[in-house]
Amino acid sequence: MGLEAEASDADVVRAVLAGDVERYAVLVRRYRDRYARFATRMLGSRDIAEDAVQDALVRAYDRLADCRDPAKFAGWLFLILRNRCFAERRRRQRERPLSPVDDGVAAPDRPDGAYDQLERQRALEQSLGHLTAEQREVFVLKHVEGMAYEEIAQVTGATVASLKMRMHRAYDRLRDLMRGHQ
Amino acid sequence: MIAGYHPLVKQVLDGELSLADLPPELRAEAEEAVRLVQAADRAPVILSSAVEDRVMAVVRGHAASPARRAWRWINAPRDIELRLRVRPWVLWGGALAAAAVLALLLTRPTSSPGPETRVASRDSVLVRFVLYAPGARRVAVAGTFNQWDRSAAPLVPAGTSGVWTTTLALPVGQHQYAFVVDGERWVVDPGAPAVNDGFGRRNSLVAVTAHGTRAL
Amino acid sequence: MNRCSLLLRLIVLAVVPGALAGQDVAKQLDGRVSPDVRKAVVTIAADAAARGLPVAPLVEKAIEGGAKGVPADRVIAAVRTLAGRMGDAMSALRAAGVVAPSGDVVEGGADALNVGLTSSDVRDLVRVSRPPYDASLTLRVAATLVALGVPPDQALQLVNAMIKAGRSPGDLLTLPAEVQAGVGGGATPGQAAAGLARAAAAGRPPVPPGQAKTGKPVNPHRP
Repeated sequence: MGLEAEASDADVVRAVLAGDVERYAVLVRRYRDRYARFATRMLGSRDIAEDAVQDALVRAYDRLADCRDPAKFAGWLFLILRNRCFAERRRRQRERPLSPVDDGVAAPDRPDGAYDQLERQRALEQSLGHLTAEQREVFVLKHVEGMAYEEIAQVTGATVASLKMRMHRAYDRLRDLMRGHQ
Repeated sequence: MIAGYHPLVKQVLDGELSLADLPPELRAEAEEAVRLVQAADRAPVILSSAVEDRVMAVVRGHAASPARRAWRWINAPRDIELRLRVRPWVLWGGALAAAAVLALLLTRPTSSPGPETRVASRDSVLVRFVLYAPGARRVAVAGTFNQWDRSAAPLVPAGTSGVWTTTLALPVGQHQYAFVVDGERWVVDPGAPAVNDGFGRRNSLVAVTAHGTRAL
Repeated sequence: MNRCSLLLRLIVLAVVPGALAGQDVAKQLDGRVSPDVRKAVVTIAADAAARGLPVAPLVEKAIEGGAKGVPADRVIAAVRTLAGRMGDAMSALRAAGVVAPSGDVVEGGADALNVGLTSSDVRDLVRVSRPPYDASLTLRVAATLVALGVPPDQALQLVNAMIKAGRSPGDLLTLPAEVQAGVGGGATPGQAAAGLARAAAAGRPPVPPGQAKTGKPVNPHRP
């Protein structure tokens, strides 16, 4: 196992492409959890996120010959997962239009209007579901994953200016959606 | 419809300003905004340990029939002897230098099958590349499917017969490629159609269909 | 700063097919070609895009030249030639009545011109490619046949015969393999193609010269 931990992504990718299918398990183990939080916050459910991560890992294997730089497998896998998250979201929106955010988060009357952290967290999670996929993504990458705008720009291919515009619209939308929970 | 946040408040959220930088009348709004954003769930997520088994089970299924057939072919010495017997000029070669190998590859009739395709998944197909290059120290295949990177897809020797092979998962569509012998000699696949590459050399063609049928 | 976000910071853009529309050409060429080539190709690509031509094949060709160690001026010339060929293909497609050709069809047309088919050949092929025949498929098959050594006239004749006989698009796709099988049986590419065209016209299933079955009955008791 020690040797396995030292093989670089590029080495493992090349070994798999040369026919050593079992080596792919190294990459699966390495990346199983790395993007799990991103997928969970994008899709709103750990179980759905798990499906998405699994699908992305399988798709990454199928398309391994397309990975232009084996040393950058991580970023390439992330993009596959990102697409998968967007597709999942589109599918769910077709099947089930989102219910209004107040469903199930009815606020008991409190004099000072304050909520404990957990309820606010739940309310925010539900509100995130009402953002566009791009707004949700920039919010998750910046405020959950802690990335700077420049890094998000590199990863998503959008410009910093358009990302900020998206994010600022998201802030306003979230404020509106969360107005019962401040 | 509630008003949006003040632009300066948004800059605090973006991390470009601190609360202390704001005029007093905006502090309350900023604190509300920060509370909202900080409500995001940042806990790391650990997925089930079964993920690895599930993924590898599917991956093995995708690799299964075609790759196993390819490996069986590679490891069957009898098959390879038959191939050599059919082409007597190969036996005369003896220990061939790379240059001589090239001459053979360019002049012998195209009786080898070229790349072989099998279905791997919905939209990619496993394609097996084969090159006979007994004097080579290393062989790779480079093409439009891997940005012509000559280290991305090395071939491995199939026993000691001088045959090199690899299997790649390629997307459906048409691809151009060539073999790279010893890191610097670009060689077309004698079993495939060839087109001008625009640089005075030739590239080989492989067309991959969704049905995995062998097509050029 | 947690480990997850630190690791994400190490992500550098890796292009996934179709994942990023409007990719920056210069970015794709960075580190793969010389600065001179990059500069020239950016211009050629911008011009091509403005004319509605696909840009990806130009970037691919430049990267290929870089990987093959081809001198800068020859890479630039090849990319320029390819852009010109795609432009010619576009004109041929418009002449065939295609108002807004897709990138696939333009590339197919350029491939056909690359192997020596003429603009009128391209135009004629596109004209006969009504559904279920896809123009990019017909062009690709014709180009591959010529790349195998079938004389252009015969390649066109074969494709036309198959379409006229109502053969499936899948049958068209296997033509190159069948020509190769015929060559393996001792025919020249032209002879193999001619044989297949005759078979198509006569309504027979395609069997290239040298591959005809002997018709011996199979003994069911043979182990």
